[in-house]
Amino acid sequence: MKTRMKELRARYNLTQEDLARKVGVRRETILFLEKGKYNPSLKLAHDVSKALKTTIDELFIFEDNKKKK
Amino acid sequence: MKTKNNTEGKDKIRMAAIVIVSLAVIATGTLFSRTAFMKGDISGGVVGAFISITILAFVIFVFIRGNRDMEKGFPLQDERSRKVIEKATSKAFYISMYSLLAIGFLSENIIHFRDVSQATGIAVGMMALLFAVFWAYYNRKEI
Repeated sequence: MKTRMKELRARYNLTQEDLARKVGVRRETILFLEKGKYNPSLKLAHDVSKALKTTIDELFIFEDNKKKK
Repeated sequence: MKTKNNTEGKDKIRMAAIVIVSLAVIATGTLFSRTAFMKGDISGGVVGAFISITILAFVIFVFIRGNRDMEKGFPLQDERSRKVIEKATSKAFYISMYSLLAIGFLSENIIHFRDVSQATGIAVGMMALLFAVFWAYYNRKEI
């Protein structure tokens, strides 16, 4: 999974701590989300998208592991 | 705002519970250690003292970090940390079940425990150690 969180966070001049406070999670959760190492619940994905003024599908990019023939 | 206050309240209760349980474990470990030393059981006394010191270090770390996070407006737990704890707990539980069976089997012929309390103490210590290892693993791994 890839995310555009870092890019959007920079656009709105938010630190990881600011975003974590806005969403109500720990800073490590934002860090892991940005690295693509945590699959968030639908609610958290929604909250983060809302905080970054975007949509879930624009924020989180899921890559299909299976190669298309 | 109401939700934030609720979370803060729950976090304070959670922190108090962690401190109380840890102090109870420290007191029990210290008592066990003292009794063991008085009976001349040096290894038992050292194990008890080691557990007490480890838990004391853990509770100091958790207390300082938790208070700092609460002051900064972060929750003590969120969905990721809960997921990490759930995964670590379930793995530690499954492996402990097998390990307890192994201890039970081996205690008849190979390992000779002093008494039931020693075997129980080792089993509980092993469960705690397994949980700590799995927690550290899942806290870094992609979940």
